[in-house]
Amino acid sequence: MNTKLRVSEISKIYPGCVANDEISLEFGSGKIYALLGENGAGKSTLVKILSGVVRPDKGEVFLNDKSIKLNSPLDAKKNNIGMVFQHFNLFETLSVFENLSIDSDKKNEDLRLSVNNILKKYNFKIDLDIPVLNLSAGQKQKVEIIRCLIRNPKVLIMDEPTSVLTEQETEDLFVSLKQFSDDGILIIYITHKLKEVLSLCDEVAVMRKGKVVSVSKTKEEKIETLANKMVGENLSTIKKKINNFKYSEEILKISNLNFRSDDPYETNLINLNFSLKKGECLGIAGISGNGQSELFQILSGEIITDYTSIKFRDKEISKLNPRERREYLMAFSPEDRISQAAVPELKIYENVALNNFKSSNFFEKGLVNEKKIKEHSKKILSNFSVNTDNVEMKSQFLSGGNLQKLIIGRELITSPELLVCFNPTWGLDVGAINYIHETLININEQGKSSILISTDNDELLKLSDRICVIYKGKLSKIMYVNEVTPEKLGILMGGGSID
Amino acid sequence: MSFDLNFIGILIGAIMASSVPLILAASGELITERSGVLNLGVEGMMIIGAISGFALMVITDNLFLAVIGSMISGLIISIIFGVLTQSLLTNHVATGLALTIFGIGMSAMIGKNFVGIPGKEFPLLFVNFKENIPFLGPILFGHSIILYFAFLLPFLTNYFLKKTKIGLIIRAVGDSPTSASNQGINVTLVRYSCILYGGAMCGLAGAYLSLIYTPQWIENMTGGRGWIALALVVFATWSPIKVLIGALIFGGITILQLHMQAVGLRIPVQLLSALPYIMTIIVLVVISRDSRKIKLNTPTSLGQIFYKEK
Repeated sequence: MNTKLRVSEISKIYPGCVANDEISLEFGSGKIYALLGENGAGKSTLVKILSGVVRPDKGEVFLNDKSIKLNSPLDAKKNNIGMVFQHFNLFETLSVFENLSIDSDKKNEDLRLSVNNILKKYNFKIDLDIPVLNLSAGQKQKVEIIRCLIRNPKVLIMDEPTSVLTEQETEDLFVSLKQFSDDGILIIYITHKLKEVLSLCDEVAVMRKGKVVSVSKTKEEKIETLANKMVGENLSTIKKKINNFKYSEEILKISNLNFRSDDPYETNLINLNFSLKKGECLGIAGISGNGQSELFQILSGEIITDYTSIKFRDKEISKLNPRERREYLMAFSPEDRISQAAVPELKIYENVALNNFKSSNFFEKGLVNEKKIKEHSKKILSNFSVNTDNVEMKSQFLSGGNLQKLIIGRELITSPELLVCFNPTWGLDVGAINYIHETLININEQGKSSILISTDNDELLKLSDRICVIYKGKLSKIMYVNEVTPEKLGILMGGGSID
Repeated sequence: MSFDLNFIGILIGAIMASSVPLILAASGELITERSGVLNLGVEGMMIIGAISGFALMVITDNLFLAVIGSMISGLIISIIFGVLTQSLLTNHVATGLALTIFGIGMSAMIGKNFVGIPGKEFPLLFVNFKENIPFLGPILFGHSIILYFAFLLPFLTNYFLKKTKIGLIIRAVGDSPTSASNQGINVTLVRYSCILYGGAMCGLAGAYLSLIYTPQWIENMTGGRGWIALALVVFATWSPIKVLIGALIFGGITILQLHMQAVGLRIPVQLLSALPYIMTIIVLVVISRDSRKIKLNTPTSLGQIFYKEK
């Protein structure tokens, strides 16, 4: 079964944005193709066109040299094009089997038989009769994949499939995708993660600002070359100068931090002690779920614990709430941009106002001084190169990278002495990651301190002056970054010990 | 003793009759809500059904036409709601409230000429059995065909939602219209159909009131039953069988408290009148405590406006 898919001069224009500009690409079965690009490069629009969700303004799609019309998702199904969206298209309250049967014409018994065959063939383990809301993200994705496989797809499109998966689930997914490819299914893999392209795909097409800028074999590419193509400029790989600890002043001292939770999904923290010098970045590594979010919340004041002593510039702040801590010039950038750091339904300037109660000129006699806040917000947008100057825009329309820049900017514009951030670049594209890294390095050079809690070891090694690892709520000893190797971190993150 | 038993049978029969409009309207609204549409116009659609059924009966002298006509008029008025919320994307809550106000006003206007006209006797089935069998007779027999239909309806609805493909599609649309649309389901069509069905059932509920239960036209004769039906759907956590239970409890306590008032118990009348509302809610809350089941039955997209990306 040989499949050839060709898109020819596809264009799609949204008000104010050319999402796809004369895209032409060719794919053939037996290979895994990567469609690589930053957020907003037009990848998602292209796959929505291929799956019939969005109609192009111009251009044609050819399947095995025959022009096909994709006016609706049904058309894509009829032409054996399967699609797994980044945001699952599942019905949470229906059972797995009901989800599968909803768009199948088969009788229930026949469908169950073929689903069971697929489960066996690809070694998927999923209970068909429980509601989807009880499944993990990885399992939900498998349900989506099975839904495609039932229809014997010629083409399978995966849109950013690993953004919600754990590392193990990602590995499993790659194994499955290679199996599908061996079975003759043409796979188009949309991503902005460079490592995945190199480890999984045979060919890669890079998109930028709605255009295809390069098509090549992945064998001929390296992370750097792909990154440069994606961003469209030579990324200056900034390096941090080695910290000679010119300031001796201790800015933060944590002693006897203990945290006990009755919630089985929270991790207890056991006897953490550490301190931070002025101008230093302390990195805290670890596999997620080992107590990072509890530690962050204790540092930010979202959780107040007894007996713990947190001294910030020689003042005891352990009983203060986040607003009061901000008044002492601490700043926080939480892990979840959408639900913790910002209110997506609010406008940009409203989000800026939210954590700046301190700024007394924002509020006068209980009334909001919009003009002041807007001026202040404009300053953040331009100082931190957020990709808009419209402070009236709802925050939910910002891309992840721009939202993160806004959040970090909002925190830094008050020149805090300490910034605590948690996975600041999670899910961002290369350009935004680079910008945020630069910003974090800059604040250290200005003599401000930072605590970087991150699950990304490359990031930690690049930004930190000292690093420790959190494992099951305990901290390892704190090491200078030049003593640390990725291998050492790996051992500590798995609960092992070094030296 | 046999007299007492027979009296209880008659009482139960009366309770069943009083819960019919609630069952019909709530079952219709349940389907509508399961597709993710919150139509607060139940009261308005019911009263339009009541007046049009009665008016058609007077004009045509044909009860069959009157019943069918009431369903059609409930359906027509629900089209207004459908066009506004599904095609013009107006807010479900505001539109539903407007529909109720519109229905009450409209019915009063049409109904002016029909006040004081006596109703027609509606044929009852198996009347012989009712009189000859003690206790069970008045419970099971001697009712109108609409009552039998109403008591079958929750079971049919349950089967329809759980076992049929169309039922599955309705639940899917109520869960996530965007996903459904991406699966190639015509969300707008499904939601329109559910709105129209809900309208027809509310119309029938109204006709039951004006043709059978109290065969005459009185302004505002639905007396808030539409709102009770709406509340039943929510407190029954979108389960048809629990709607039936809730409707029976409500009807039952309504009838019982009337008897208690008649007997002259030393309980304030206001408290007795409030009893059906309080008890129904308490019972439904207690039998619907399983939070997992609530989550599975609740239409996640309830009241959300859906539009398709072009």
